[in-house]
Amino acid sequence: MSASLTEASNAPRKKERFQIKNKYKLFLMAFPFLVLGFIFSYLPLFGWVYAFYDFRPGIPLSKSEFIGFHWFTAMFSNEVQRDEMIRVLRNTFAISSLGILTSVLPVIFAILLTEVRNSKFKRMVQTLTTLPNFISWVLVYSFAFMLFSVDNGFLNNLLMSLGLIDTPTNILASSNNTWLAMTLWGVWKGLGWGAIMYIAAITGIDPELYEAAKVDGASRFHQIWHVTVPGIIPTFFVLLILSIANFINNGMEQYFVFANAMNMANIEVLDLYVYNVGFTGSNFGFATAVSIMKSIVSLFLLFLANGLSKAVRGETII
Amino acid sequence: MVKQKKWSALIAFVCLMLVFTTACSGNKDNSDGDKQTPESSKEVITDWSQEEEVTLNVFSTLANFTGEQPGWFAKVVKDKFNIKLNIIQGGLEGKLATQMASGDLGDLIVGMGGKDYTDAVKAGLLLDWTKNGMLDNYGKNMQKYAPDALEANKTQYGSGTAIYGIGHNVGTGDGPSEGATMTFGPYLRWDLYEELGRPEIKTMDDYLPVLKQMQEKQPTTESGKKVYAFSLWSDWDGDFATLPKVHAQLHGYSEGDGFNPGSLILVKADEPDIQPMLDDNSYYMKGLKFYFDANQMGLLDPDSLTQTFGDVSTKFKDGQVLFAQFPWLTTTYNTPENTADGKGFALVPFQEQQIYSSGFNPYGGGWIWSIGSKTKHPERVMAFLDWMYSPEGVMEGFNGPKGLAWDLDADGKPMLTELGQNAMYNGDTAVPDEYGGGIWNDGAGNFGKLNNTTLSTSQINPDNGEPYDFRSWTSELTRDPDPVTKSWREAMGVLTDKEWFVKNDQVAVTKAFFNGQPPADEPSDIKLKRSQVGKTIKEYSWKMMFAKDEAEFDKLKQELVKKAQGLGYDDVINWQTEQTKNTVFTLYDK
Amino acid sequence: MAIREKFSLFDVINYIVLTLITVACFFPFYYLFINTISNNDLSSKGLVMFYPKDIQFSNYVHVFKIPGLVQAAVVSVGRTVIGTLVTVAASGLLGFLFTKQEMWGRRFWYRFLVVTMYFNAGLIPWYLIMRDLGMINNFMAYILPAIVSPFFIILVKTYVESTPIALQESAQMDGAGYFTIFLKIVMPLITPILATIAIFSAVGQWNQFYDTLFLMTDQKLFSLQFILWRYLNEATSVAEIMKQSGGAMRVDASMMPTATSIRTTVTMIVVIPILMVYPFFQRFFVKGIMIGAVKG
Repeated sequence: MSASLTEASNAPRKKERFQIKNKYKLFLMAFPFLVLGFIFSYLPLFGWVYAFYDFRPGIPLSKSEFIGFHWFTAMFSNEVQRDEMIRVLRNTFAISSLGILTSVLPVIFAILLTEVRNSKFKRMVQTLTTLPNFISWVLVYSFAFMLFSVDNGFLNNLLMSLGLIDTPTNILASSNNTWLAMTLWGVWKGLGWGAIMYIAAITGIDPELYEAAKVDGASRFHQIWHVTVPGIIPTFFVLLILSIANFINNGMEQYFVFANAMNMANIEVLDLYVYNVGFTGSNFGFATAVSIMKSIVSLFLLFLANGLSKAVRGETII
Repeated sequence: MVKQKKWSALIAFVCLMLVFTTACSGNKDNSDGDKQTPESSKEVITDWSQEEEVTLNVFSTLANFTGEQPGWFAKVVKDKFNIKLNIIQGGLEGKLATQMASGDLGDLIVGMGGKDYTDAVKAGLLLDWTKNGMLDNYGKNMQKYAPDALEANKTQYGSGTAIYGIGHNVGTGDGPSEGATMTFGPYLRWDLYEELGRPEIKTMDDYLPVLKQMQEKQPTTESGKKVYAFSLWSDWDGDFATLPKVHAQLHGYSEGDGFNPGSLILVKADEPDIQPMLDDNSYYMKGLKFYFDANQMGLLDPDSLTQTFGDVSTKFKDGQVLFAQFPWLTTTYNTPENTADGKGFALVPFQEQQIYSSGFNPYGGGWIWSIGSKTKHPERVMAFLDWMYSPEGVMEGFNGPKGLAWDLDADGKPMLTELGQNAMYNGDTAVPDEYGGGIWNDGAGNFGKLNNTTLSTSQINPDNGEPYDFRSWTSELTRDPDPVTKSWREAMGVLTDKEWFVKNDQVAVTKAFFNGQPPADEPSDIKLKRSQVGKTIKEYSWKMMFAKDEAEFDKLKQELVKKAQGLGYDDVINWQTEQTKNTVFTLYDK
Repeated sequence: MAIREKFSLFDVINYIVLTLITVACFFPFYYLFINTISNNDLSSKGLVMFYPKDIQFSNYVHVFKIPGLVQAAVVSVGRTVIGTLVTVAASGLLGFLFTKQEMWGRRFWYRFLVVTMYFNAGLIPWYLIMRDLGMINNFMAYILPAIVSPFFIILVKTYVESTPIALQESAQMDGAGYFTIFLKIVMPLITPILATIAIFSAVGQWNQFYDTLFLMTDQKLFSLQFILWRYLNEATSVAEIMKQSGGAMRVDASMMPTATSIRTTVTMIVVIPILMVYPFFQRFFVKGIMIGAVKG
C-alpha cells in the first residue's frame, strides 16, 4: 500500500495511470452486483414478448397467435371503455396526488419526534407508531368493519347514544370522500414506518450545526428550519422523486379490501381495475402489455422528475 | 492495494460462485429426474403398501390448503399406497400459469378443466393412460364404474385414441343427483315460522310479509343484536351478485347451460329456454327487486354491502339471520344445542318453486382428474386415482376408514358409529391415534384436502345398497331426529328435502349432454367484454338493491342496461346463446 | 441539545399530538391482541372492545399446533438474518461506490440498476428464470435476488453524499484503498442509514410470502409469513372457487373460513418478534449521533 502511495505522489504520469486503474477497479468492485442485477431484473424481460401474442402458458410461442398491439389497444377500443379508463385514471391521479401531498407528514412526524427529549417516550412512540405497517390490509379492513359497521359498529353506537344520529349509516359504503378516506388509511398505516428514514437522516446531522445555531441565538424553530429541515431535504427529495415515478402504481390490496359497489366508481385505481376486469390471472398477454405500459410510464416519470429536480435544485438523484 | 484487490476479487468470485452453483444444482436436479426409471418393471403391482414410500405432488385447483395432507385421510392413503400427499393449491392466482409454463404440473392434477385442460393436453403436460397398459393394469375400477367418463375424455380431448383424464361426479340414473338436501332452497327459521301458524307461501314475494312478522317476533338475538331476514355478502360475486342470482335457481334456471362457459344467460334446466341476465323479466332482475323490496321493509342487513362471507357465517351462528339461500348455510345455527331447544332452520318451500338440480352425468363433470406426464410414479398415481373411483375409495374418502366413523350393522347396512355421530356434525372431534390422530376435520373433506369428487356420492354403493353419502343412509334418516327435524317431517310428510321436491314435482333436473366435443372456448374479445360487463352488473346490482325508492331503482336499472350495452353486453349474450343452442339445446330436438 | 431547555408550549402540544398519533396507531393492534386472548364467542360478537374478557390462550395453543410452524419460523429467521446481512453489506458498498466520480461508466451503471425498480417482467418470465437458475425449492431463492436492491443503494448513495468528503480524501492521501475507506471511514459515518436499511430489509424479508408461494412446494422451506398469508387468504380463495362454480358448490367444513380469532393470532405471532427486535435497531440511531459528534 505504501508503494502505491509513493508511486502516486511522485510521478504525474504514473498518477494518471493510477486514476485509470481506479476507474476500472471501482467498476470491477461493482461488477458482480451488476451481474446479479442483470440476472434477476433484466433476464426476465424476455417475457415482454408475450404482450404481442395470444399467449397461453405451456404452449410455445411458435404455436401461439401473433396479435401485435391488440392488448395495448383493447382497453381503449370504444367510447364506453375510454370513459372507464378516464374514470380509472382520474382515481389513480387523485389518490396518488394526495399520497404525494401527504408524504410530507412523515417528515413532520419525524421532526416532532426528534424534538422530544424524554428518550423513553420517544422510543415508545417510535415503536408503537410502526405497528400499523405490520397489519395486513385484510385485517385492517376487519378492524374498520368493526369500527364502522351498521350492526353494532363502534362509531354508529357512539353517535346513536350521543343522540347525534337517529339511524345508523353504513359509512364504509359511502361514496363520499373515498379518495380522502383511502389516503388517510394509507397515512395511518405508513406514518411511523415512513418516518424511520427521516429519523435516520436527522440523527446523521452534525450536532455542531445545532450548537453553532444556538450560539447565534437561533430559536428552536429556527434550528428546525435551518438545520434539521436542510438535513432531511436530500432524503425527502429522493423519496419524492421515486414516488412520482410510482404515480400509476398504487398497488391494489388496500383498494381491493375497501371496495364495494357504492364506492367502486371512486376507488378503482389502475391496478384494481386491471385486476377487476379479471384478466391478470388468466390472460398473460394482456397482463404483460399492462406491465410494459406501466414500466414505460414510470421510467418516463422518473426521468422527468429527475430532470425537474436538476432544473429546480440543481441536483439529480439518478 | 493488494489487500483491496484481494477483497474485490473475492467478492466477485463468491458472487459468481453462488450464481453458478445454484444454476448447476438446479440442472443436477433435473437430470436426476430424467434418470429415474419407473418403479415397477413388468408385473402389475397390487399391494402398494409394500413398496417404498413416496411423496406425490398433488396439484389441486379446488383445494383450499397447501402442504402435506394431515389427519385420518393421510393415514388411509399411507396404509394403502404408502404415499404422502403434498398438496399444492392451484387455485391461487398465477399458480396454475407458472406450473403450466414450467412444463410440470405435478404427479396428480385435480379439478383442472376447460381451456386450461385443453392447453395442458396440447402442451403435453398430461399422461396418456392408454400407453403402457396403464389403464388396463391399474384402472380397473374406473373402467368398471365410470366407463362412459373415460370414453368421453377420449373423444373430447384425446382425438379418440388417448385418455388424459376423467371427469368428476360421475353417475348414472334419473332424478336429482344431489343427496338428502339440494344445493339451493328457501330455508327459514322453522321455530318462528311455526309460531306464526305456518302461513301459506305461493311466490317468493310472499316470504317478505312472513319474514317481517318473524322479525317482529324476534327483533334481537340473545346477545342483543338486531335480527334481519336477509344478510348477504359480495365477496363471491363473479359476473353478477351471487345471492340475487339464486332466485334463478329457485325457479329452475341457472347461469350457463352447465356445459359451455356462459355466465350472463340464465338457462332452464329441463327446457330449451334462455333468459339474458338483464332482461326485464329475468329471474336475476326479479331477485334484485326482491331484495330491494326487502330493504324497503327493513328486512335486509345494511352491512350486506360491506361484509364478507365470514361475517355472515358468524351472524348465522348467532341467530341474526332468518332466511338462508343454501342448506349448508344453516348448519352453523342448527347446532345440537339450538335444535334441542327447538330452534333451527328448515326448508319452507313456496308453491311456484322449481329447484334447479344437476342430473346424474355418466360422462363426468368438468373438474377433471389427470396425471402429470413428468411423474416418476405413474403406476402408483394411477392406482391411487383408481381407488378413489372404487366404491371402497369413495366410501373411505368421504366417511373415513371403516370402523372409525362408520361401520356395517348386522344387516350389512352402513351406520355411523358413536364417534361418527359426533364427528360428522362437529369437526373438532378427536380421532384416535391408530387412525391418524388429530381432529376429524384434519382428514375430512372430499378426499381430504384434494376437494374434488369422483363418483357421485348419491349413487348407490353396490357393496351395501345404500348411497355413499351418510346423510342419505337409512340408519341416519331414521336415527332419532332432533326436535326441529322431527317437527318439520311431521308437517311435511317426508323425510328429506329432496323427497319433498321430487314428490311435489318442484324440481328441474338437467340432462347430461355429450357430443364428443369439448366445451366451447371463449374467444378473448368476448372474454374481455364479459368481464367488463360483469363488473358493471355486479356494481349496479348492489346499488339497485339498496336504492332509496322505486324511482331510483328504475333509474339505476336503465343506466345499467345502457352501460352494459356500451361495453358489449349484446355480443356476449349472442355468443353465449349461440353456444347453448348449438350444443345443449340439441337434446330437445328429438 | 444537551442544554436543558424550558418545557415550552411547543413541547406540551408536541407531546399531546404524538400521544394521540400513538394511540391511533396502537389501539387497533391492541384491539386485535385483546381479542385473541378473550373468549372467542364474545370476541366474534364484537363485545371485546377495550380490555380482554374471559382471558384464555386457546387460540395461541391452537396456532402453535399448526404443523410446520416451528420449521417455518426457522426458515423465516434464517432468510431474515442472512438476507439482511447481505443486502445491507451490498447496498452499503454499492451506494458508496456509486458516489465515486472516477468510476468507469458510473452514471450508466447506476441508472442500469435504478431503472430495474420499475421493471415488471410479469410472473411467468420471472418464474421461468428462477427455475432455470435452480431456485425452485432452494433456500437461495430467498437470498440472491435480495442482494441488489436499487432503492437501498439510492438511499445509501444520498446519505454518503451528505457526509463530509474531506475524511475520505485525507484517507486516500494516506494511501487507503477504496475498500479500506469504505470499511474504516464511510461505514461508521453511515450507520444510521445502514440501520434503516437493515430494518427495512429485515421486515421485507420477514413479511415476504410471494416467493414461497410460487417457488416452494417443499413444506420444509415454507416461511412463517406464508403460513399467515394462507390463513388470511383462505376466504379469498374460497371466494375464487365459488366464483368459478357460481355458488353451486357445496360448502363443507374445509371451505368454511377459519375463525378471525385464529387469523388474528397468527398475525400476532408474526408481528411480535419484529416488535421485540425493533428497539435493538433503534440504538443505532442514537449511536449515529455520537459517532457524528466524534468525527465532526
